[in-house]
Amino acid sequence: MLQVISAIVVRRLLLAVPTLWLLSLVVFFVLRILPVDPLGMLLPASATPADAAALRQQLGFDKPIPQQFLIWLWAAINGNLGTSLNFRQPVSQLMMAALPATLELSLVGLVLALLISIPGGVLAFVLYQKKREAAADLTVALMQSIPSFLWSLLLIAAFGVLWPVLPFSGRIAPDITLPGLTGFALLDLLLTGQFSGLLSALAHLVLPALALALGFAPLVIRVLRSSLIEAANEPYVEVARLRGLSESRILWRHILKNAALPTITMIGVQFGFLFGAALLVEMIFGYPGIGNLMVQAVKGNDLPLIQGIALIFCVLMLAITVIVDVLYAVLNPRMRNL
Amino acid sequence: MTDEFELDPRKRHACALDRRQVLLGTMAAGIGALAPLSGHAEGVDKSTLSIAFPVDVPTWDPNALSIPAIQNLYATVFDSPLRYSPDLKLSPRQITDWKWADDKATRLEMTLRDDVLFHDGSKMTMEDVKFSLSDRAKADKKLVVGGMFNTVADIEVTSPTRGVMQFNRPTPTAPIYLAFLCGYVVPKAYMLQVGPEGFNAKPIGAGPYRMVEHQRGSRIVLEAFDKYWGGVPTIKQVTFEIAPEASARVALVESGRAGFASQLPVREVQRLAQKAGLVTKIYPFSEVYMLRIPNYVPPMDNDHVRAAMHLAIDTQALSKAFYAGVAKPLSVMAPEGTPSNVPDFKFPYDKAKAIAELKQAGYGPDKPVSFTLLSTNGTFPNDYDMARAIAQMWKAVGINVTIEETTSAKLLDAAQNGKLAGPVLYSWANATGDPENYAGRIFDPRLRFSTWKDMSLSGRIDKLMTEVNEQERIAGYKALNVESSEKSWAIPLLQGITAVAYSSALQPTLFDNGYVLPVEMKYR
Repeated sequence: MLQVISAIVVRRLLLAVPTLWLLSLVVFFVLRILPVDPLGMLLPASATPADAAALRQQLGFDKPIPQQFLIWLWAAINGNLGTSLNFRQPVSQLMMAALPATLELSLVGLVLALLISIPGGVLAFVLYQKKREAAADLTVALMQSIPSFLWSLLLIAAFGVLWPVLPFSGRIAPDITLPGLTGFALLDLLLTGQFSGLLSALAHLVLPALALALGFAPLVIRVLRSSLIEAANEPYVEVARLRGLSESRILWRHILKNAALPTITMIGVQFGFLFGAALLVEMIFGYPGIGNLMVQAVKGNDLPLIQGIALIFCVLMLAITVIVDVLYAVLNPRMRNL
Repeated sequence: MTDEFELDPRKRHACALDRRQVLLGTMAAGIGALAPLSGHAEGVDKSTLSIAFPVDVPTWDPNALSIPAIQNLYATVFDSPLRYSPDLKLSPRQITDWKWADDKATRLEMTLRDDVLFHDGSKMTMEDVKFSLSDRAKADKKLVVGGMFNTVADIEVTSPTRGVMQFNRPTPTAPIYLAFLCGYVVPKAYMLQVGPEGFNAKPIGAGPYRMVEHQRGSRIVLEAFDKYWGGVPTIKQVTFEIAPEASARVALVESGRAGFASQLPVREVQRLAQKAGLVTKIYPFSEVYMLRIPNYVPPMDNDHVRAAMHLAIDTQALSKAFYAGVAKPLSVMAPEGTPSNVPDFKFPYDKAKAIAELKQAGYGPDKPVSFTLLSTNGTFPNDYDMARAIAQMWKAVGINVTIEETTSAKLLDAAQNGKLAGPVLYSWANATGDPENYAGRIFDPRLRFSTWKDMSLSGRIDKLMTEVNEQERIAGYKALNVESSEKSWAIPLLQGITAVAYSSALQPTLFDNGYVLPVEMKYR
């Protein structure tokens, strides 16, 4: 098993190098040919085109794009992703400060999504070809038609304003300072024994994570339901029935296990959806993550920062692909021989 | 006094809930109870205040960037040498006296207060002023302060509290820049010790509040500075909750989690006005909504077409439709009450005359003129809606426009490269109210973002910028304002508005330049 996992990881890592290079190249060129001015806020109202040209030269934007790319690539290989134009801080430093918040939010969002979608998918399967199937389908369709940012606003309206029981701004109460050990608030607060802080961080996580989860869960429910229906028609299910196993035992022990494989693949592939959705969700909830940083970078045409964040997103997606492949191999014995 | 019962919507709605809602609510309340519910408490705890604010501070180096929206925060942490009063009068602050030492406006004598302390306890001296406004700009061209003080040759320090700002050309308006973008004083010794990066991480200013925590994109926590020269602020802790999404700002103030929320949508503010415990204000400030016209794009080079565009716009109707009638219609590029406003001059709304002008240009309802109108969407309140309304008004006289949604960054790029596709609906910020930062910049054809590229205006604007006689300077700008409006080099529409909501327990001072300064707020 370990050998199979190692092979998968090595194969993926080898593929990651050209993928990252290609993505960097595409993002770099696209950003440079966009009709936006990266010097927008770096110059005062009184600046002349000559002032702009001088600054452009100082920042290296006057060089041919391929040359700019090679300079950036060499620096990136050496661990330097450049300096943010607006924040005046190293890009890597800004990203490392924001990334744990996004990872934490996305992971909690994923857990909540699974808590909603696994029972939801099973329920939708149980209601298959029954009277209430239409109602279940309608509910899922309604959920699917509401994107995460809209869930955010609905949740804020419900639990922040109408029923003000949950905080909806920031990562923790203003009077509590995060320890900053790993950047993961829950872990840091747990490690330092700040339990009131931990509860505050958890409360601040509920609404944004739920907004992400509610946007993500319908996809999982649909795929899980389809997979369950497909798996239920397999001959082994009939054999199990003939053996006298109860329907619930067949469902939870046999059908669900086999239906899980395509669902896991879908979750892996769609995990990027959570990061994408986090972009707006973080902005709405004032959550200091990478999505929020990206929005600010885009608003300020901060090319080095946008480039860096695109790269980190790509790295994350590649990492998720590796994890999904490994999980797939662990769960599906047939994959181990491929 | 704030009525806590009225502020708490839970109590008002509880009896209208069904069993399922109660169950769900109980679950949520259970989770919510885990966190200290600071919301309403913040509204009544007179030592703290949360402000729902739309923009974060990219860098704590106040000399680096010229973003108008964050000047509130810089002024709060760094204070400023001079400051505009709520009714836009230039007033002493860290600098108590300023006067010209010559009649050419090239030597400005300044006296600094002798009791200004930075947050590290060190005293502010004229060396810090020289370092911030002159030396830094010369050493690092990426700092925007150099552009704001581009005629400063040097600052001569004559004593720790006295100095002379020397200019390489007459700069009669120099004092206004001591109360404007980037004109903040940073501690020289500390900046040199920690460098810009260290300073950005841990800024030290001389303002009424010191920065204690900054979670980027989320929250800025400020604490009252007990050695502030103006006295310790009454509110001890101020938290700026960064909420770029307007709905989130509305929710923050509506739920009582923020005591003050700025830049809210007009319709939301009208709704919030019905809520007990909240005070709302929609008020005009020193920003101007206008149409900027690129004269190099046909048919914008046609005087009659521009005149028709201008005559066909009913600014009063725009104000009523989108700004609750509060945004004052403008005939010139200067709001009412500012020095270069011309109260006697009114540009008319006249559809018949607009049709007649178009006819002279060879167009009419049967042969409409077509071009692109550029508009941002969400950069200032109801911008895109206003563009659509203008398009309808123009259509009625024979002007067909295609509205193209754009961004500020794209506009800057297109303007700089002379590639604007048509007129632009724009909001022009100017916290000083001085005409130099309205018409003086808008019509200077040499600037990178200028749209009306008439090079013959350069000399006229140079003369105004160096004019030492204040009366003649203002008269010159008034004449430029009237001529530019009559000839429609740009079309002034409305004075900008801003909408805020705050707890009725709070007494904020609202500034005519839109500033939100916690030091000028107190509880009743």
